[in-house]
Amino acid sequence: MLEYLTFGLITQLFVNGILFGTMYGIAAIGLSLIFGTMRIIFLAQGAMIVFFAYISYWLFTLLGVDPYLSLIFVVPLSLLLGSGFYSSLFKEAAALEDKNISLLIAIGLMFLVENLMTVVWTANPRSILTTYSSFVFRPIGIIIPFTRLIALLMAVLSASGVLLFLKKTLIGMAVRAASEDMESATLMGINPHWVNVVAFSIGIGLAGIAGVGLATIYSFDPMYGFIFAIKALIALAFGGMGNVFGALLGGIILGLLESWASFFIGAGWADAVSYAVFLIMLMLKPEGLFVRSVQTA
Amino acid sequence: MRERRSIIISALVTIAFAGVPFFLNVDTSYFAYYLFLSFCHIVIAQGWNFVAGYTGQISLCQNAFFGLGAYTTALIWLHDVTKTGYYFDPVVMVLSGLVPVILAVIIGIPLLSRLRGDYFALGTLGVQFIIQVLFLKGGAFTRGADGLHLPSTVFESMKPYYWTGLFLALFATAVVYFLIKSRAGLALRAIREDEISAAAHGIHVLKYKIFAFAVGAFLAGICGSLYAWYLFHINPDSVLNLNWLFYPILICVLGGNGTITGPIIGAFFITALFSLGTVYMAQTHPILSGALIIFVMKFMPTGLVGLKDRILSRG
Repeated sequence: MLEYLTFGLITQLFVNGILFGTMYGIAAIGLSLIFGTMRIIFLAQGAMIVFFAYISYWLFTLLGVDPYLSLIFVVPLSLLLGSGFYSSLFKEAAALEDKNISLLIAIGLMFLVENLMTVVWTANPRSILTTYSSFVFRPIGIIIPFTRLIALLMAVLSASGVLLFLKKTLIGMAVRAASEDMESATLMGINPHWVNVVAFSIGIGLAGIAGVGLATIYSFDPMYGFIFAIKALIALAFGGMGNVFGALLGGIILGLLESWASFFIGAGWADAVSYAVFLIMLMLKPEGLFVRSVQTA
Repeated sequence: MRERRSIIISALVTIAFAGVPFFLNVDTSYFAYYLFLSFCHIVIAQGWNFVAGYTGQISLCQNAFFGLGAYTTALIWLHDVTKTGYYFDPVVMVLSGLVPVILAVIIGIPLLSRLRGDYFALGTLGVQFIIQVLFLKGGAFTRGADGLHLPSTVFESMKPYYWTGLFLALFATAVVYFLIKSRAGLALRAIREDEISAAAHGIHVLKYKIFAFAVGAFLAGICGSLYAWYLFHINPDSVLNLNWLFYPILICVLGGNGTITGPIIGAFFITALFSLGTVYMAQTHPILSGALIIFVMKFMPTGLVGLKDRILSRG
């Protein structure tokens, strides 16, 4: 097997891993924001991503809207849905000490969305095929599909956008303060509901972007979301909770792990390898790989 | 006095349930199947209740223990290990409970000593996925996605299933009840309330947590064993399914987590909901179930048992 191992192949695996991983990365940033302020593990994130992929799919097949153009519609919709979900479902639960309740509401939401999608769009896998779907770049013999490159670009741009928002704006700073210590932030006059709404909307907004990215790259079905959410959680654990670029890098590391494991050990084992690395990671460095200041619990 | 009354009530309820097969044709009635499924759910839910409700450790690998129990039963039977009768054999059932206990101790020592709260939940979720992949890729031993086929010719009637299910439900409830009343139960509840304070009072936190985790695994394992005898065809899709992870959680939280009657009420309620849903609204019922979970969690976060208390305290 090792004689096939050329420089080109290794680079190809590397590139595949990065392109794969950015999708997990954006989902993980959304989860990180929601977990940061509300301490909710939002398991429905994956289902939401698939939902927006379907919206993009519908816009494409029914109205002929280009999937990348559909972002103009999907992103506002997802921001709106995010704030709607928070104020209708998680507002009371986020304030409770018992986090099981919000976790279960998220699971309920996941059931609801997944099965709604199964009824509306059936369980058959769908994908968007545009004129540029098969378009491929070949720099130095490596195959880079155009759609994946755009997805990478979207991921990096949205991560930078979120980071700038958190660093430069007043609301962003409030969100960061609330993720460090909600109680002190509240004492400083920050309205917890306002912060939570913002975090939740951005979280779901990122799901919207990831959904469009997903729709152009893979075929997807309603039940695909749960695995995606789990992968995003692993990426989050790699990057460290509440660290935006860490989450993106965590996603990329997970992508690399999967791409290498599925090549060298076999596709079915790739998942087991990534979960095992995730477990070892949790044991040895639960604060994540890219964290600067360590909070002691 | 109060205790004696509740013991009498539970004895009467058990006798009433045990008498059902004399009045109802268990083999054809869907209602009997519903009761059997509810009993299974009670067993696995009491296990989760003990770990999460009383000890406060959210374990997300109950389906791995359940599947391991089912696979143990099937493997012992197919490889002719214990040389006893394999169909409804208590030895096999106990062994099927003990194998998940071994796994629980092996993964419990590193996970429980290093991880707390959400991280422990995520870690157990990871373990559960690894077990799924291992069984799926187990080669000739587990026969992959197709799974193991047991000789189904031994099947005669649903009656033994019904009574065994009832017995296990009673057993699980009694185990949880008496453990909670014992010194160990006191230690477990102390750990749930405040781990540091519990440790300061001389409780060996790790030991008790692993004990609770192992009890949960044992109950899931024997439930898996019974279910394996019912299915006769064990594959990762049927016994390592994520439903076996989510249903116990739903049942406990809906019924009232950390109470002894909560999982029982929750199991009957959830099983009825899902069974009726499958019969009358084949495709749309998971949507309603999802909506109901959200509804219950939003308006009565203490569960159905808590609802009773709330009504009583108001009136």
